Amino acid sequence: MSGRVIVITSGKGGVGKTTTNANIGTALAKAGKKVVMIDTDLGLRNLDLLLGLENRIVYTIVDVVEERCKLKQALVKDKKNPNLCLLAAAQTRDKSAVTEEQLKDICEKLKKDFDFILVDCPAGIEQGFQNAVAGASEAIVVTTPEMSAVRDADRIIGLLESKEEIKSYKLLLNRVRPNLIKSNDMMSVDDVVEILSADLIGIIPEDTGIITSTNKGEPIVNDEKSLAGKAYNNVARRIIGEDVPFLDLEEPKGVMAKLKKFFSGLTGKEK
Amino acid sequence: MILANLYNKVLGFFRQTEPEVTESSKDTARNRLRVVLMQDRTNLTPELMERMRKELVELLSKYVEMDKDALELNLEQDGDQVALMLSIPVIRAKDEEEIKEALSKEDSAEDDSDNNEEDKEDEEVESTKEDESEENTDDIENSEPNNEKEDLENHTEDTESSSNEKSESENTTKKKKSSSDETDK
Repeated sequence: MSGRVIVITSGKGGVGKTTTNANIGTALAKAGKKVVMIDTDLGLRNLDLLLGLENRIVYTIVDVVEERCKLKQALVKDKKNPNLCLLAAAQTRDKSAVTEEQLKDICEKLKKDFDFILVDCPAGIEQGFQNAVAGASEAIVVTTPEMSAVRDADRIIGLLESKEEIKSYKLLLNRVRPNLIKSNDMMSVDDVVEILSADLIGIIPEDTGIITSTNKGEPIVNDEKSLAGKAYNNVARRIIGEDVPFLDLEEPKGVMAKLKKFFSGLTGKEK
Repeated sequence: MILANLYNKVLGFFRQTEPEVTESSKDTARNRLRVVLMQDRTNLTPELMERMRKELVELLSKYVEMDKDALELNLEQDGDQVALMLSIPVIRAKDEEEIKEALSKEDSAEDDSDNNEEDKEDEEVESTKEDESEENTDDIENSEPNNEKEDLENHTEDTESSSNEKSESENTTKKKKSSSDETDK
């Protein structure tokens, strides 16, 4: 087996890297793939929380590189899905505790046993980013339709393009708010894609369910009803190679909206 | 028709529509972002752009009389390429004498006055491609090197560029220089 190593990165913090990581990882595992997630955000680990695994962590990635345990011992299995594992970051150390070479080495070893190695990258473009990217051959750039996030994504894309090991990168547009786009108060998906001129792998709507899912330590892809969960599931299917159309987020909701749509159809007016 | 009118009125009432004269905040965001990304990608700060603009005015005034304040120099995105757009309102073409005079002021060693007209018309198409760019520069104009320009070049380092010169029309000279989408390597 030779797994694919995908780094999930963004430049800016708070755009949903870790949430994306947890959900794509869970969705891939649900699709029957063997998945390991590596949290490289040393000192600021969070992926364990989103997965609800915070109490199960015995060894971290730093213990692995400092040879206090074997790599396999440090892999924490998911509560529900045995296909899913986490290699947690150390909370008490800083970014210098692991080097690019060491991460590359860990990824190489994990490739043999897993279909997918998802690397959760810290915010910023410093050493933490360099480390996270070191072992990866693919990247997902997470951004939101906000100026600062798009600008940072552009910078990250520039850096990724300069890395020989990164063979491809895709854009994931997170926290999209169709209502704001409709009222021209938020850049549309097309605007962002055009500005960054990158291929899109997913459009995730803003969803309050994300907050409750984080509270519970339960990725939102496990919630069949959630639109964001559905969107993340679709991203996972696209990663596997399926051709999945993007969700229509503009679909009006509620009786009034439907009536409006009905009437506008009758009169032939585009509103 | 009446139905459509009525429909619009009713809909308008519910939406409390305000006339959309002003630019939407999304457009503002998009436009600001475009400008800032151009700067990020090329390392051209507003100061450098202004300096380039001034130097271009200086240079081109030798050949044509133009509206100096109306000269526009903008970075634009053209697909995944960054283009430098120069628009110069030409008031009138200078005659041979004037051009000669302007050029003689320069302490240029090889002042080939006979060919000046031609130089102007088919200003060379230059394209430079260097992958490992160290001090790769954009030659916007190829005629007279001037000292200030060298300073500028140092600032615009590592912009992988290919430039091509567009034809000169009667009123406007458009100069387009594309430089490939380039961020810090």
